[in-house]
Amino acid sequence: MENPSIPASTDARRGSLACVGLGMTLGSHLTPLARSHITQSDVVFAGVSDGIVEAWLQRMHPDVRSLQPYYREGKSRLTTYREWVDLMMTEVRAGKRVCGVFYGHPGIFAWSPHKAIEAARAEGYHAHMEPGISAEDCLYADLGIDPGRFGCQHFEASQLLLFERRIDPTGYLVLWQVGHVGDQSLARFKATGAAYRQVFVDLLSADYPLDHQMIIYRAATLPIQQPRIRRIALRDLPHIELSAEETVVLPPAKAMKPNLAIQARLAELEAAENAVEPA
Amino acid sequence: MTDTMDWLEAIGQDATLRHASSDELTTLLAAADASEALVAAVASGDSAQLGREFGEHVMHVTQSSQTYPQREEPIPVPVPVPDEEGEPNKDPESVHNLPAQAA
Repeated sequence: MENPSIPASTDARRGSLACVGLGMTLGSHLTPLARSHITQSDVVFAGVSDGIVEAWLQRMHPDVRSLQPYYREGKSRLTTYREWVDLMMTEVRAGKRVCGVFYGHPGIFAWSPHKAIEAARAEGYHAHMEPGISAEDCLYADLGIDPGRFGCQHFEASQLLLFERRIDPTGYLVLWQVGHVGDQSLARFKATGAAYRQVFVDLLSADYPLDHQMIIYRAATLPIQQPRIRRIALRDLPHIELSAEETVVLPPAKAMKPNLAIQARLAELEAAENAVEPA
Repeated sequence: MTDTMDWLEAIGQDATLRHASSDELTTLLAAADASEALVAAVASGDSAQLGREFGEHVMHVTQSSQTYPQREEPIPVPVPVPDEEGEPNKDPESVHNLPAQAA
């Protein structure tokens, strides 16, 4: 069936912004709505993880502009991300329908899409985020984890190092960007290395034994790949090769402890409710 | 003739192809006259073989950096500073540079 179309508005053309996710795996995860945002836009900006994925995106639209060239060794990624926001907003202000396309989900561990949408709305433009299948979604499926079973905490690894956060070892702990852990310059291309990861292991060892088995995970980007899943002991983390796109998962180390006081209060409430209900 | 990108998209969208064994997919692609690079990538399990066809692209995937170090990119935030009489200082130039908040 051919899709019905809505006649173009007679109002003066206003710019707009849609940030959409491509999902993680080429061909498998792109939603029909995200594809529609891409094809109906005037200009597409691409922040994707793979050159082949970027080439795939270029087949969907004649004007795809890669955001990759704005990265540079020694340049703060924060500067790069601000430039991305400026690039998208410049076209929005010029009256274009802009689509920012990002790998995975455009709003998860992705600073620029949130900021660009915020900026567009603040200036009165329509702006929208369309979710995509994220690395986190793939992780649950590939590792057989249900975050509802024991609970699940997520941290950017550096945040766990640089700030005093509370880890709950009775649930899953998912750590992102471990390859860059402790990088305060935000300007490195390469992983921070063994010494930085040893500091990280020392921090985690307050809540986990050093022989605790953890999972190193990477989702498939191309449909001819399989997810990469490795299992190592916590103490070995500094000594393995680890790429920026790999995620570390620590399964629970302790059993959940029942809150007997709260359970007793709830039992009292239930008993009181039963006492007043008519037979 | 189906090109490599068409094949990748087709494999990504088809449950049988996506979950076929390496041997099954290699046989199918070779019989369908898929590119040598794609057949080699599937047969070897090394997708880097596709670089022969698409070129080598070094892509940077880190795009989060939600955690800004305390010293990074201070944002001027007006904070009333008591003057010598203990009254809040209304001087707009009197601001403290507070660290940026993590997004």
